[in-house]
Amino acid sequence: MKLLSHTNLKIASLFAAVVFGSAITAMAQDTRVQTSQLDYLTAKASSTVDVNIDERLIQLTAKFLSTKNPDEASVKEVVNGLKGIYVRSFEFEKENEYSLADLESIRSQLRGPGWSRIVNVSSRKEGNVEVYLMINGSQIGGLAVLASEPKELTVVNVIGPVDLEKLTKLEGQFGIPELEIESSKTKRKN
Amino acid sequence: MKNSIFATLICGALVCTALAGTASARTDAFDAVVKVIEQHYHVKHKGLPFLARAGMKTAKAAARLAGGQKRRLAEAGSVKVAYFEDQDFVSIAGASDFRKNLKSALLPEWLPFVQVLAPNDEQQTYVFLREAGPKFNLLVVNIDKHEGSVVQVDVSPETLALLLQNPNDIGKAITDDATTTDY
Repeated sequence: MKLLSHTNLKIASLFAAVVFGSAITAMAQDTRVQTSQLDYLTAKASSTVDVNIDERLIQLTAKFLSTKNPDEASVKEVVNGLKGIYVRSFEFEKENEYSLADLESIRSQLRGPGWSRIVNVSSRKEGNVEVYLMINGSQIGGLAVLASEPKELTVVNVIGPVDLEKLTKLEGQFGIPELEIESSKTKRKN
Repeated sequence: MKNSIFATLICGALVCTALAGTASARTDAFDAVVKVIEQHYHVKHKGLPFLARAGMKTAKAAARLAGGQKRRLAEAGSVKVAYFEDQDFVSIAGASDFRKNLKSALLPEWLPFVQVLAPNDEQQTYVFLREAGPKFNLLVVNIDKHEGSVVQVDVSPETLALLLQNPNDIGKAITDDATTTDY
């Protein structure tokens, strides 16, 4: 009987671990914004950039960035703990090459559980910049930026603890374009 | 009876072909990618023996790294280069099919890390990455209207960390490093 209950306990622990593991994986997957539906725009674009940097590569970079060089130290601090940086960018020669449905295909994911749009964010660049944060309890689990200009469309997805301030420090690095984001006040809107 | 022998031979041949294909993909990603380019675009690569010098540590290359450092990116002796010169990279099947073929020629251990495309100028750059013990293999494919190159190099983790800060430029930095000598 004792042996049986011990076995049951083991099975229950294993089950809990599997469930917990699945939940963590699901959370990470939810933070990842899918952009494969935009693949067809590649043929219309005059230029496209697709950058995929996973956790291992980010941590590798962090490991070799110098703490003595102020610029590198600042980046090292920002990237520590990040789990992925994914950038998809399209430039077009003509306007209206991408559709509202394309934007909606990204926005619909960012209306999912945990995502909140940060309002009062603007960019010095032409066009519209939307910034979204994934909040897991009291922690930030990721960030997404949808930047749309008449001839440009960019989706940036950073997974891990990253806020707007950190994002501005990452602009121009790791494939993240210069979004020139400015925040007057940080407000969130669901 | 004849039919069954014939069927067995056909099955055997198919299995052998499949196994040979898998083995080839496993043994050399560089060769597999060169073959994909040749088959897709009906072009032929050239081997440039002088490029063997590219991996020498003593040489200096104007490697465009973050921070403007000038030094070799590739580890000594690790450079493989295939060059396509004065050829037409036109394919009826299109670039989309080419990307699919390229990815299917590589094992999943190769991470499609950076892709920069300018379809109007018919320019394509793909950078794939995989771990190789304490180092990393970078495989860079550059296709232009009339030129192309495939470069595979080993890089140290330190070099990769530097390159990662400006991933859009990795393809050019690696290709320049492997094909430029400035003695």
